[in-house]
Amino acid sequence: MEKFAKAFPSKPLPSKTAKPWALAGVVGSGNLEVLLERGGKPSNAMECHVETSIPGYKAAWLAALSDFAHHYAAGGTKVTINDQGAPPVLVTLRLRQAYDHLIKGDK
Amino acid sequence: MTGAILFHEQTARQRIASLVDLHSFAELLPPPERLTSPYLAQLGIPVSFDDGVVIGRARIGGKKIYLAAQVGQFVGGAVGEIHGAKLTGLFKAAARDKVPCVLIVESGGVRLHEGSSGEIAIAETMRAIFECRALKVPTIAVIATDIGAYGGIGILSTCCDFRVMTEHGRLGISGPIVIEKWMGKKAYDSANRALVWKTSGGKTKYLLGDADALVHDTADAVRDGISKFLGKSSAVSLASIKARQKELEKRLKKFGATSEPDAVWKGMGVRDIEAASLASGPEFAALAKRGK
Repeated sequence: MEKFAKAFPSKPLPSKTAKPWALAGVVGSGNLEVLLERGGKPSNAMECHVETSIPGYKAAWLAALSDFAHHYAAGGTKVTINDQGAPPVLVTLRLRQAYDHLIKGDK
Repeated sequence: MTGAILFHEQTARQRIASLVDLHSFAELLPPPERLTSPYLAQLGIPVSFDDGVVIGRARIGGKKIYLAAQVGQFVGGAVGEIHGAKLTGLFKAAARDKVPCVLIVESGGVRLHEGSSGEIAIAETMRAIFECRALKVPTIAVIATDIGAYGGIGILSTCCDFRVMTEHGRLGISGPIVIEKWMGKKAYDSANRALVWKTSGGKTKYLLGDADALVHDTADAVRDGISKFLGKSSAVSLASIKARQKELEKRLKKFGATSEPDAVWKGMGVRDIEAASLASGPEFAALAKRGK
């Protein structure tokens, strides 16, 4: 297991979202779950906590998360990830799904 | 959004969303509570925010229910301490509030990484189910995925008043691979999917009376199946247990010596095996004179 946390600069989240939190994905082989919550401390940063069963890919994780924080207005959110070996494209997909659910709701 | 996806292909959360009345689901102990397994964390295995089971309150056709859906993709939906405690609490709440409880099953049984606490949790959940049954609060298990209901969860499912199954669902105690390991490949070939489904699959379980309804693999059909049982409950009494024991003795006498699953189908009133193999849900049920 490898565990790390980092905050990335990001534009503030819209003041209204459909839900206070959103979940995307499942902890299964080659998959991960992303929990995205409102109420991260500074409103201009996305706070990330990652726990992964595959150690040694911290640089790839940080690149994927920083890219997401750059492209989406996710400031003031807390991202928590439980990972079981998901590839980087899937990490980005789940982040976008969770973001979409947070802003627009599940339906 | 999820209406078109087959029920067995949905995730636990999608299943709940497609079954219950729109926006009626209120999750209990949701992911932000972070109730995760301390055992898995110690063993260096990734944990999940809901520990593999989503529980909450909802409505089906306006009727209040308590609902749990197991997440088969997370360690096979296996029951650990937290997972089991969530199930126990849910059935206890159902008994307290006299509200029917529905369990969407997808589990191989107890999680071996936390075996003892998982076993205890299953036992406690069984006790809570019987608490419901004593109070005539309906308990319904839905078994509709190929992970199915095995081990402790197989037992737990049969403790409920009713079981709704699809042809994808499987119900048993020891899983096919376990049986093969103990009895040998000649006795039971776990790679023979036709054999596995004809011995533990939904159609056979319906014929034998272990499943109370056989429905199509869609959320609408499963919802209809659940709705039919929401107002009913079957009481547990000494007489009902003795009657059940008699049925099982009869079954053993009738089929105990056969190693041919088709013989069981024929014995339970299926005349055209090929047509029945291709039929599903109610069409299959129509082809069989169950138990006659």
